[in-house]
Amino acid sequence: MKIPTSFNRSLWVFHLNTGSCNGCEIEIVATITPRYDPERFGMRLVGSPRHADVLLVTGPVTRKMAARALRVYEQVPDPKLVMCIGTCGQSGGVFYDSYNLAGPIDQVLPVDIYVPGCPPRPEAIIYGVVKAHEKLERLEAAQ
Amino acid sequence: MVAASLSSGFGVWNPLIWLLVFAIGCIIAYVVWRSGVSGFRKGTGQGRPYLSGNEEPAKGDVHIRAGNLYWGFTEGIKGYYQQVVPLHTGILADYLLWMFCVAGVLLVIVMVI
Repeated sequence: MKIPTSFNRSLWVFHLNTGSCNGCEIEIVATITPRYDPERFGMRLVGSPRHADVLLVTGPVTRKMAARALRVYEQVPDPKLVMCIGTCGQSGGVFYDSYNLAGPIDQVLPVDIYVPGCPPRPEAIIYGVVKAHEKLERLEAAQ
Repeated sequence: MVAASLSSGFGVWNPLIWLLVFAIGCIIAYVVWRSGVSGFRKGTGQGRPYLSGNEEPAKGDVHIRAGNLYWGFTEGIKGYYQQVVPLHTGILADYLLWMFCVAGVLLVIVMVI
């Protein structure tokens, strides 16, 4: 698939909470504040997955959210990346043996970038976005 | 003559100019279409509205369909319909029975009272 040139200058991000405690959400909001200002690089949160390039997923995936997460993933136009923010999305975190978990995010969606932390600091989230850029560049070079 | 201009108090009409404008419009539309996302897949989730990840309900479940012009009327006398609709079984013998019953009652009213 051809990667559009618009990826070179901007990544539009859609955030999806699949069962997070809200800790990661607070850090995501901190990331978009003027202190870090990722919008100067063209990165911004968007209100619909249909406008997004990156799906930012937080929290372990609860059983109720599994089908909804898949539906949102399908709505993101290709090419797309999935970023997993926080420890819960990687392993289930403190909720790992909960009765109502469908599992960590990578058991439901194909994850490209992991940002560990409980919650990860804004610097870590921005570092993850940089890694996403690098992955896209690699994909583009391979084409 | 086909290419002749028609002038009137409302302006000028020339079919060749109209075709030229139409062709330019088509070219602009094609250029806009070409600059779109090539990876868009029709008939998948990419074309469906975003409803917080929920499945899109049937149109008739969330609003009154345009075809149902009598919704207000039927909603207004819902109590009447609830009584009358079950009586309509669709069986001819039932309707004949109703007719004979009503005719009998009318006969009694007219002849006796």
